[in-house]
Amino acid sequence: MHGLPREVRSWIFNFFYREHSVAYLKIDAELCIAAKGGNLKHYGLSSLRTGKPVADQLEFMEGLLPCPELPFHMAMVELPGGRVADLHLFADNDCVWLLFLDATAERDNRQRLQQKAYEMTLLQERERQLNEKLRSTNEALRESQEGLSREYQRAETLLLNILPASIAERLKAHEQIADNHAEVSVLFADIVGFTERARSVGAVTTLAILNYFFKVADQLSERYGCEKIKTIGDCVMVVAGLPAARSDHAEALAHYALELREAGMRERFAGVPLRLRIGIHSGPIVAGVIGKKRFAYDLWGDTVNLASRIQTSAEPDEIRISDATHTLLGPDFACDPLEETELRGTGRVRMWRLRA
Amino acid sequence: MLQKKICMLGGFAVGKTSLVRRFVQSIFSETYLTTVGVKIDKKSVVLPDKTVDLILWDLAGEDDIGSFRVSYVRGATGLVLVVDGTRAATLAVALTLRERVEAEFGPMPFVLLFNKSDLADRWAIPDSDIDGLRQLGWQIYLTSALSGECVDDAFRQLASMVTE
Repeated sequence: MHGLPREVRSWIFNFFYREHSVAYLKIDAELCIAAKGGNLKHYGLSSLRTGKPVADQLEFMEGLLPCPELPFHMAMVELPGGRVADLHLFADNDCVWLLFLDATAERDNRQRLQQKAYEMTLLQERERQLNEKLRSTNEALRESQEGLSREYQRAETLLLNILPASIAERLKAHEQIADNHAEVSVLFADIVGFTERARSVGAVTTLAILNYFFKVADQLSERYGCEKIKTIGDCVMVVAGLPAARSDHAEALAHYALELREAGMRERFAGVPLRLRIGIHSGPIVAGVIGKKRFAYDLWGDTVNLASRIQTSAEPDEIRISDATHTLLGPDFACDPLEETELRGTGRVRMWRLRA
Repeated sequence: MLQKKICMLGGFAVGKTSLVRRFVQSIFSETYLTTVGVKIDKKSVVLPDKTVDLILWDLAGEDDIGSFRVSYVRGATGLVLVVDGTRAATLAVALTLRERVEAEFGPMPFVLLFNKSDLADRWAIPDSDIDGLRQLGWQIYLTSALSGECVDDAFRQLASMVTE
């Protein structure tokens, strides 16, 4: 300032004094107001009393004095009256001067800019959060869809395990299943002396026997295009010629029977092979699905009953077939005629033994 | 007259001004108005054995922690650390501010407020994080300046801590 002409200094002083509404307090060593002046009214502080503690009258001075780092500057302090001041504290012997310089306009300007900037930042943060949430929701959706389709496939597989594929398809379309099949062959097979054997070998071996027997039955069904309809205890029921009709249904089951018997003899349980009793008959049947919750695809009709009776009448290791089946098989399969036998519920029946 | 200077510290838009307004005037505004510099408010708290005037310094929540002016905190006897529960990053901001203040003025009592507890569907702070901090013995409150939930409790707790 000293290098400036008096007029300029004076102009700067007046300008600054007016623009910034300069006010001051002088605070003594007892932290009381020793003197006051300038535009205190501008800050709503005209009633400050000299000789009284400053912190009791100006709350923001609480804790500030004595201040080891003078001069000390605090920018843009909004006073209870609403004015904003830059506060300057500087030392003068035992006393401290406190200057008020108005910064209301500057603060308001800064606030407008900062408001825009922060609002923008908040929006961007929110956008990021929402995008993140969208991503994780999509991820969860994808996972649950995958889970659902896995479940569906599992259900599908289960259904195919208990029903022929074409029947399962029709069932899913809510179709009622009850079909007449004019020409099929039905086979029954069981294990000779199974009940006694189960008693003597124990549960684990019994289970192993059944497991082996039914597994072979499944494998042969696949190989010869037959359908394993069900198992009853140690007895298995297999049909050829459905769901799709085929002219060689009797041949298919004859091959099936020969291999099934072979498989039984091949395997030993507790040193003893499985001896089977097998019966086959051919004719018309009705096939359908019964049950709502537990589906069962089953066959009905005299053909089924007779096939079962023939099987029961067979000797151990014998494949016994009806006359109808024998006629269908023709000369390719060597058979021995059996004596006409009385079967329960059917009368006298002509049967044949299928040779190996 | 017993009066204590308390500083509100936290990132921007976490709700420092709204918490002070809720506590001092029992009002809340949905409109976000950023604070520049500092606003000073006073509220008397009646404790069982004494009454204390809290001089609340509502400091601007800086976007950039580096530009925070620690000197405002001179003379403070307690801190209110404010975190926006819907913005996980504001926890680190509050903790860093406290470290800077303690480096300058030494340790002082504080309460930690996870604010905006009314926005449950946008909550971003795992319970385990909050429990972990509680196990340090910190006084932690889930507050809502909107509903007023726990706001008085938090300030009263700090008032009794700074007058002990």
